[in-house]
Amino acid sequence: MRKLSKHKKLERGGKNLVILGVASVLIAAVTTSVALAIYHNSGDIYLDRSRPGFLPDEDEVEDENDKVDDEEYDFTKDGQLTKEDMDEFLKHLKEEIQAIDDYKNPFGEEVLSDERLGIPAEEKKVEEVQTSE
Amino acid sequence: MKINRYCLYYIILLLICLVGVVLPARALDLQEGEEAAKVTLSKTQEAAIVDHCATMKESLKTVQKSDARARVYLGGRYETILNKYITPLNVRLVENSLSTTSLIESQNTLASSKAKFANDYVDYQQKLEELVAVDCKNNPTEFYEKLDGVRQKRKKVEQDVQKMRRVLAEYVDSVGKVKEKLNAKTK
Repeated sequence: MRKLSKHKKLERGGKNLVILGVASVLIAAVTTSVALAIYHNSGDIYLDRSRPGFLPDEDEVEDENDKVDDEEYDFTKDGQLTKEDMDEFLKHLKEEIQAIDDYKNPFGEEVLSDERLGIPAEEKKVEEVQTSE
Repeated sequence: MKINRYCLYYIILLLICLVGVVLPARALDLQEGEEAAKVTLSKTQEAAIVDHCATMKESLKTVQKSDARARVYLGGRYETILNKYITPLNVRLVENSLSTTSLIESQNTLASSKAKFANDYVDYQQKLEELVAVDCKNNPTEFYEKLDGVRQKRKKVEQDVQKMRRVLAEYVDSVGKVKEKLNAKTK
């Protein structure tokens, strides 16, 4: 009788261990899914360039390293303003704006045009047929 | 048995959270999807989409990558300009009792445009991701409809970039005027 209850206890302990293991895996799966859903729906995924296929190119990494080497300009929030301060400020601000302008045509529409994707412009062809008639 | 019951409660709670996150997002997607315009493709266009499906998807993935680069690059520049140039100068001008109304207006416009740019970019990328997922070999019309939606979203992002460029140009002009005032004051 005593031997049997010990066996039962062992069996129950093993069962609980399995339940605990399965529950842990389920909880991990659910929490990971929630985290991924938030990561995706918040849009953070689109800013994450460490994703496979989105890693920065070599030239970008070199540019970043060059930027770190450059001396950083720091405009302080307090103190008397002089003409020299304003000149220097404008010079650096214009450099930053120039860096934006150097990025040619960001989000331009021609990248997704029919022509670029290889879809024929059917309307033009129809017009041409009509004029030839 | 106790552990079992609490685990069950916990799992139910997490499932509710999951449904709470995923379903509203899906509902929003559906609402936006309903706005997509219906297009009629000619047989030649349909055939072109079916034939070049794989190439088009590759092109779209390249666009995704180059857009991510542009977003990170431009976003970083706007952030730097706003936090390291515009805000400190405006604070300093106030401390020096110089008129800054137009400069503060530009700062606010730039900050709101930057936030709009970030949101519009996310909307655009979500649509682009949906487009890439469409089976263009079997559903060319659906692919083209979604492509049209993506173009509209991309246009919005482009407009945000152009607006911010205009605001920056206005800001530089205003700073030039303040500089002239400062010169006149010191003479």
